[in-house]
Amino acid sequence: MSLLLCVALLAPAGAWAHKASDAYLQLATTEQGLSLRIDIALRDLDAALDLDADGDGRLTWGEVRAAWPAIDAYVGARLQVQGCELALNGHALEKRADGVYAALSLQSPCQPSGTPMIRYTVMQDVDPTHRGLARITLGASRPELRVLDPMHPATWPSTVVPQPAPTPSAAAAPAPTSAPAPDQAVDTSFLREGVHHIITGYDHVLFLLCLLLPAVMRRTPQGWRPVDELRQAVWPVVGIVTAFTLAHSITLTLAALKLASIPSAIIEPAIAATIVLAAIDNLRPLFSRLPRAAVTFAFGLIHGFGFAGVLAEMELPTSTFAWALLQFNLGLELGQLAIVLATVSLLYLLRRRAAYPRWVIGGGSMAAITVGSLWFIERTADVSVLGF
Amino acid sequence: MKRALLLLCMALAAGAQGAPLLPTSDAEVVETLAAQAGDRAEERALRRRQQASPGDATVAVALARRYLEQAHREGDPRFAGRALAALQHWAQASNAPAEVLLTRATVMQYLHQFDPAAQLLEGLVQRQPALAQAWLTLATIRRVQGRYAESDLACAGLAKAGAALYAQACQAENDGLRGQFDSARARFNQMLTGRLDAGTRNWLLTSVAELEARAARPAQAEQAYRAALSAQSDDYTRLSFADFLMLQSRDAEALVLLNGQPRSDAVLLRLAMAGQRTAAPAARHDVRELRERIAQANQRPGAGASHAREQAMFALWIDSQPVRALELARANVKLQREAIDLLLLAQAAKASGQADAQQEAKLLSQAVGLKDARLENLL
Repeated sequence: MSLLLCVALLAPAGAWAHKASDAYLQLATTEQGLSLRIDIALRDLDAALDLDADGDGRLTWGEVRAAWPAIDAYVGARLQVQGCELALNGHALEKRADGVYAALSLQSPCQPSGTPMIRYTVMQDVDPTHRGLARITLGASRPELRVLDPMHPATWPSTVVPQPAPTPSAAAAPAPTSAPAPDQAVDTSFLREGVHHIITGYDHVLFLLCLLLPAVMRRTPQGWRPVDELRQAVWPVVGIVTAFTLAHSITLTLAALKLASIPSAIIEPAIAATIVLAAIDNLRPLFSRLPRAAVTFAFGLIHGFGFAGVLAEMELPTSTFAWALLQFNLGLELGQLAIVLATVSLLYLLRRRAAYPRWVIGGGSMAAITVGSLWFIERTADVSVLGF
Repeated sequence: MKRALLLLCMALAAGAQGAPLLPTSDAEVVETLAAQAGDRAEERALRRRQQASPGDATVAVALARRYLEQAHREGDPRFAGRALAALQHWAQASNAPAEVLLTRATVMQYLHQFDPAAQLLEGLVQRQPALAQAWLTLATIRRVQGRYAESDLACAGLAKAGAALYAQACQAENDGLRGQFDSARARFNQMLTGRLDAGTRNWLLTSVAELEARAARPAQAEQAYRAALSAQSDDYTRLSFADFLMLQSRDAEALVLLNGQPRSDAVLLRLAMAGQRTAAPAARHDVRELRERIAQANQRPGAGASHAREQAMFALWIDSQPVRALELARANVKLQREAIDLLLLAQAAKASGQADAQQEAKLLSQAVGLKDARLENLL
């Protein structure tokens, strides 16, 4: 039989590593006028404009910089907002899960009276499956999501409408295609996520353990001595746990509200460093002039950003945002409380053993230093040494 | 201590905008565009020829096929979009050249647009009944949709078009799905005694492996999977084998099978699942990466439908959210009804503890006509 058919292309394609081509638009109006930001994948722009000048398949920053004028002209010709003359404000690059995007900031002094129409034909002749996903925020109102299909662009009587703003009837024309933002119900799953994250977040647990190891002892000039009663151990523990809780709640909230953020490439190794420093401090006082709770507080700020990284991946719905955040944090604290209670009880029972300073504090801290250092290396060099 | 404070200050200074990329030199590579660099000049030349004469079917089909292969190779659906753009000249024409229609239908299948693709092919084979590849693709699409009777018809058309071996395999596959395990197995084994190229041998052996898995003969299934991979290693067989291993709680072996493979959504999902169960080093990172990809893909309204299988598995096995998984598994079977899809629906239904959902999964399998021992054990 000589007939040879192609079976390779028959396999159902679940084998995607990327999503379809989307551009992201953020349109906002304020009293100063209208601002519009558009992020387009460099892969897409390359197909339209051959950004990769030397054709080696690797796009360098120099090639992108040289192509900015061409990109500006391309986008300028394919993106209009009804009643507004857009002027370019700046460029940037943005890294997203599926690649790097060129971000163009545009602005206009115009004051649309309603949701303006957007004429969008970017990628029209390159990829008919491309879409522009526009998030439109008028003043203080709730953002509206609109999907722009370059194959069916919006039209209005005159493409370039001079100031002032168009008539109300034109401005109120229906959107070409619109879809409501997906709405997700929040149940108590964020509480469970919080508990889950602290219990399985070995780095946070190890940091807490480092702080707790000496809590049933006190530092004397002769070395570590066990405390006499539980009371003496409880107050330092309460201080440490409160400081850690306060600190990570602050940064977790700041990050969740998007008021502050640190890339995980910095935060993850920093967390590893806090473990190493806390463990070294057990062996040889590093922060003798500071109360232990203050040091814990400073380090706790870093751990809060680590928690925020997890929370950010969950795509919290804006409407129930505060509730979800509270739940997540409560979950963290509950998990933390369970760990602290179990650990401190055990350590309290062991405290009078002669081997405690040498083996529990010394050995435990040495182990923490080792693990923390390996984590630090893993997280800065992006290699895998440890199994967790 | 100072360092910690420094980090904190950096944090407060950094803006709220995702992750800006700040290259430090012109030579810094900011994006990798294609796995094979040498092809770029050729691709551009072809693209220019196509732009100069968009009505030239030979050039357009060559460019579209090139893009479709690139989409498969790199797992990037945007290349499927570019393939469609190359064929755009005939977008509205039902009398387009046969090769154009066939290529367009294949691209649409890749994009999970099964119904429009099948309709296109049905029109095409009416016009040109001797077009074997069109029959084979049509049979595959109808099978994926769980429409076995229509798939049978396409297999018969394939036989009439003269592709005897493919037609036999086509029909044996459908019979096997209906539970005629012994006769289907015998036919596959008969075919496998012939002289076959590596790709076809792999295809037949993978069909046997999946049949044995449905027939509750795991040892034979495993043997067939291994034989298929030694004939020719491919993504589809690896994924199917990994799913088989994970169903038997052999997660560590699934990890070994998939480690080092290109990180498509499907591969990454299995790495994350098996990795989480075995507490593998990379699992946390894999879960995070996949979660980011899903969040980004879901920003396009309605896009979730074509990713529903992977997202349902993610919700069920990684997030342990059976109710959400059930919802996604239901959306998925509206689009595709392969054995894995119906099994997933049943698994989500069972995990959710909803008796009516389990009944629904059972009824759907009966309606499709699928016989799968794994499913029957579950419900």
